[in-house]
Amino acid sequence: MTFQKLLFTLSEFWGSQGCTVTQPYELEMGAGTMSGDTFLRCLGPEPWNAAYVQPCRRPTDGRYGENPYRMQRYFQYQVVMKPSPDDIQERYLASLEAMGLQMRQHDIRFVEDDWESPTLGAAGVGWEVWMDGMEITQFTYFQQVGGLQCKPVTAEITYGPERLAMYLQGVDDYRKLNWSEDVTYGELRYQEEYEFSKHNFETANVAMLWALFDLYEKEAYAQMDAELPLPAYDYVLKCSHTFNLLDARGAVSITERPGMITRVRRLAARVAKAYVSKREQLGFPLVRRSEAAAN
Amino acid sequence: MPKDLLYEIGVEEIPASFVLPALDQMQDSLREGLEQARLQFGDVLTYGTPRRLAIIVKDVSERQPDVDQEYKGPPADRAFDDSGAPTKAGQGFAASRGVTVDQLEVRQTDKGSWVFAKVLEPGQAAEDVLPSVLSEATKSLSFPKTMRWADLDARFARPVRWLVAMLGEKVLDLTFAGVTAGGTSRGHRFLGSAAVQIDAAAGYVEALRAQYVMADHEERREQIRTAASAAAAQVGGRARIDDDLLTEVSFLVEWPTCLAGEFGAKYLDLPEPVTVTVMQGHQRYFPVENEAGRLLPHFITVRNGDDTGLDTVRAGNEKVIVPRLDDAEFYLAEDLKQSLDERAESLARVTFMEGLGTLADKTQRLEQLVAHLCACIPEADVDVTGAAQRAAHLCKADLVTLMVGDSKLGELQGVIGGEYATRLGESAPVAAAIAEHYRPRGPRDAVPDTLAGTLLSIADKMDNLAACFRLGAIPTGSADPFALRRQAQGVVEMILRGDLSINLRKLVKLSLENTPEPQLEREKDAAKVLSPAAAADALMGFFAQRIDYILTQQGVTYDVARAVLGAPWSDVLEACERARFLSDLRANAPEAFDTLVTAGERPARITRPEELPEQLTVNEGLFQEEWEGKLLTIAREASDAVAACLAASPPDYTGAVHALADMAEPIHEFFEAVMVMVEDEQLRNNRLALLRVTDEVFMHVADFLQIVREGD
Repeated sequence: MTFQKLLFTLSEFWGSQGCTVTQPYELEMGAGTMSGDTFLRCLGPEPWNAAYVQPCRRPTDGRYGENPYRMQRYFQYQVVMKPSPDDIQERYLASLEAMGLQMRQHDIRFVEDDWESPTLGAAGVGWEVWMDGMEITQFTYFQQVGGLQCKPVTAEITYGPERLAMYLQGVDDYRKLNWSEDVTYGELRYQEEYEFSKHNFETANVAMLWALFDLYEKEAYAQMDAELPLPAYDYVLKCSHTFNLLDARGAVSITERPGMITRVRRLAARVAKAYVSKREQLGFPLVRRSEAAAN
Repeated sequence: MPKDLLYEIGVEEIPASFVLPALDQMQDSLREGLEQARLQFGDVLTYGTPRRLAIIVKDVSERQPDVDQEYKGPPADRAFDDSGAPTKAGQGFAASRGVTVDQLEVRQTDKGSWVFAKVLEPGQAAEDVLPSVLSEATKSLSFPKTMRWADLDARFARPVRWLVAMLGEKVLDLTFAGVTAGGTSRGHRFLGSAAVQIDAAAGYVEALRAQYVMADHEERREQIRTAASAAAAQVGGRARIDDDLLTEVSFLVEWPTCLAGEFGAKYLDLPEPVTVTVMQGHQRYFPVENEAGRLLPHFITVRNGDDTGLDTVRAGNEKVIVPRLDDAEFYLAEDLKQSLDERAESLARVTFMEGLGTLADKTQRLEQLVAHLCACIPEADVDVTGAAQRAAHLCKADLVTLMVGDSKLGELQGVIGGEYATRLGESAPVAAAIAEHYRPRGPRDAVPDTLAGTLLSIADKMDNLAACFRLGAIPTGSADPFALRRQAQGVVEMILRGDLSINLRKLVKLSLENTPEPQLEREKDAAKVLSPAAAADALMGFFAQRIDYILTQQGVTYDVARAVLGAPWSDVLEACERARFLSDLRANAPEAFDTLVTAGERPARITRPEELPEQLTVNEGLFQEEWEGKLLTIAREASDAVAACLAASPPDYTGAVHALADMAEPIHEFFEAVMVMVEDEQLRNNRLALLRVTDEVFMHVADFLQIVREGD
């Protein structure tokens, strides 16, 4: 199964489960959770079922393209369902079968792994899913996001599509993965891994990044003052990524670190609150819609 | 006919460590609930898997027994009028309890005359009572962490997906978290049926077994032990089975099958603790070793299922462990490029605790504390001192290595430092002391083997304790984020095991004086900071609690322990010795002990109240009675005698106690002859001062006021 086929299959599968297949958000972010389609939509009472691919950037994970498993930019396949359906685990397992994995042939386990993101003021309870000892998915019931209690609770499923595809194709280096029938992952992305690793670790302009961090933070507050939580959140994401770049450049000292994380968390919490009250002003449109559908 | 009760809570995979404590709680609260519901029952059995918490109670009686219930009504004079005819209130009460007015009884109570109704309450059927008992037991379950799901308010360790509640063959009427109990369980996720009909408790275990669920956790555990050993034997070794890991693994699977996997022999060059941690810690594999206990390049994993596709599972697991071992190999090669001395220098860039400087500062303090300890301990010869000093300098260097920096290997701090020290040419005693200096890491961990390691470990823990107490971060209740109780306990254990005569008071003082003045930005944090003197008092009290615990474990009663630790003490060994002496005295010569307590507590009781002045001095010129002067002389002589006995090596407790006992008679005579609490303040305070001198003599040995006697 090619990498692109795997992504198609997941979209096909979750689309048939009632998920809206949205598309990737076009800003740099460290995880699919940070997309507004998860971070914001899981807040408040509105039902929400979505699935999407999200490119993720983690500057410190770069290895100049040379490590067979680690990249500074990779993909997550993200599924969120709110409220969490009673058979969510069974649905997830069916998605593995849709990829051609036969449950009887493997050892699939749900291994305790609670999730926490200090930057997002978020915490959840769940598992990492193991297949034959390998972690293939993070499975989380959100309890708190942006400092707000989640009710209803969102179930989040995050697949590592590269790992799954490597397993399915029986290759042990991301570069050898068949993206499509004709092109490998390495052919598509090796140069990018090299250049961005070099940029993240060596050449990114630290002074500019520090300045940007402050500017983005200021702008986020300005947009919140204008009661525009969505643009404000864009600047939160930019802050977060800028911090990650500074971190990769080794520019953040141990003592500065907690302070900067707190600054981003404070922003995220402010946006979360602002988003919920904005949705409330709008009458929680998706609640109305689901009530109409039920009648 | 009594029937068996079955209750099964079906959950999404619950954390392994939660299961056994939850089963214990369920068992306790069901027993209690059944007793309160006046239902008789037989044996209670529990079963736990990752997906179920189940309990079977044998022979539950079918009905509650009937009981005579008595209800109190209104006062008699309100229930009946003067002529003895029932009032509205009297009639109302009778009606509310379902009796006629003439069945009401009037009885005298200590609050007057009241009306009572006696009612025979027929017992209810067990099936009507049990749902609320089960429901209570479920709601009262506590877990280290709970969650919510869907749009429910209920909390549980993981979402509840089904419930089975049956008495005999009958399904009980019960709902929890939106799930209604039935007679249908679920089999193994991949091998069994999604709907398993349960006919009655008696068939539960076998019905599940037919669906690839081994419900009995003890059976599963033993099955894994046997199968893991067999799998290891097949690859020519034996499984190294850690008991905790075995328990954990048994709660990760419902149907265990063991298989052996292999990794490249070159990884055996890694430090053994690293390879073992990669296998056990993250992957939950059992390592395989040869006859001599050396690792072999194999591992045993436990698969949740049968033997279908075992080769695929094996290949997958073999693939997972290699990148982890590769990482470790890379760390090792990189880490050994730099000397430990260089690394120790770079600790200047790592914060120790907020406001208390860097790890380099801490290292310096450790060197000073170790020097002090070595000077106090005669056994610490030149070699031990040299090793301990060098180890103190290097012991934190591994915190800035890649290996310890890996979150999955961080628990190997110290052990990695020891390995690296060996590989970088440090002497064996230095390497051992570094490797051991975090021990004991918990109540079940061994204390360090070497003296240098012990002294370094004491120094490290004292420095941590001093730092936290200085910051006012003193553990309260169950909150102990820095594990200070464990560290203090460790210090005491090392002192006792090593028979180390250490002046703890002095060590506490020195540790606190070494700690820098905390530099804190937030006012909230700065407000919590304690002065070195206040921190020292708090820390000595903290140690007293730990020693108290150890003494009571050894059979010393808590009041004797408290009496000794409530009097001034500085040497842990000596304080324990003294407590044991008094404890033996109480057991072997109760009368002598009693005399001592009587004599000791009288001056203590009268001179301790807080409203009395703190400082009182004896002025012999104010003595009026013969016994005042006499007692002072006797007390001074006794004080010298007791001090001399205690200063002897070994301390002469018998002599000290004799000297105290000799004061019993004079104290008695004094109280007969002299009135202490007289009107005249000067006279009164002078007498109290005299009694304080007397009290202090006893306080050399113990605070006898703490002793609890029959009748107290």
